[in-house]
Amino acid sequence: MNIEKELKNIILSQDQTIDTDDFINNLHAERKRRIAKKIGFLNGVSAAVFLTIFGFASMSQLTDDFTVYASNDLQPLEVMDSETEAYVYDIASYLVDTSDDIWETIMFLDEIQYEPVIAVNNRGVE
Amino acid sequence: MRTDEELIKEFQNGSEEAFNELVKRHLPDTYGFFIKFTSDPIEAEDLAQDVFIKMYKALKKFRFQSKFKTYLYRANINMSNTYFKRNKWRNLLHLDQAPEPVYMDTSNEDEWKRNELWNAVSKLPSRQRMVVTMRISDEMPYKDIAKFMGISENSAKVNYHHAVKALKDQLEN
Repeated sequence: MNIEKELKNIILSQDQTIDTDDFINNLHAERKRRIAKKIGFLNGVSAAVFLTIFGFASMSQLTDDFTVYASNDLQPLEVMDSETEAYVYDIASYLVDTSDDIWETIMFLDEIQYEPVIAVNNRGVE
Repeated sequence: MRTDEELIKEFQNGSEEAFNELVKRHLPDTYGFFIKFTSDPIEAEDLAQDVFIKMYKALKKFRFQSKFKTYLYRANINMSNTYFKRNKWRNLLHLDQAPEPVYMDTSNEDEWKRNELWNAVSKLPSRQRMVVTMRISDEMPYKDIAKFMGISENSAKVNYHHAVKALKDQLEN
């Protein structure tokens, strides 16, 4: 078997024509498609890197003190400013006046240690 | 008529038309190079397309240290090596699905022979494969092959003869 001859015969039997204009159009379309794909990939990677860094930075700033994230405005009644105090007083009075079960409301106010309304209401009862 | 180097300079200055002219000029050789061993016009076109897409990037930094034709030829050889490697894996992965030669339609005998030969070529060591590709596909003289590959002329001859012997052994077994 003459390998060289066989290879040459096969090679020479090939049709070697191609439409150049079509090829060039396809070439540029494919080139642009690959660039768009690459940009998409890079954007994805950049977004992932940004989110990782941002997420890590945010997480590292979190503290163990829950009071930073949860409102506990009702707890330190003694440090309320006068406006808030008046507002809370009104709300408490409203609750006392409108509740169906006065004792539940008084228990609630007692729980939150809001003395003024309890005292006022006690006076009213007396 | 503008030379390749002039077209490349124009392309480097932003003329896409110059690049298209370069493609038009060298496409027949490049496509012809790939169709010789793929025997598939679509696959040959894809390989040629990959080469010219790489050229589009590479030519922006081309420093005119070698002729464009040589540069393109080297890219073709590299691409053919990639094709051989890819095909080798494809053949390995589809061994169980390979049709038995005895059932082959005789009208496709050339097609079958070509596949057998190029499968055998794909199994050669890379240096032998390159020498065979250049020698048989482009009928390149040993002197040019040696120059292109940076080896001696004798080494090119020895590699070629080893390759032909290995091909013969593979095909006869």
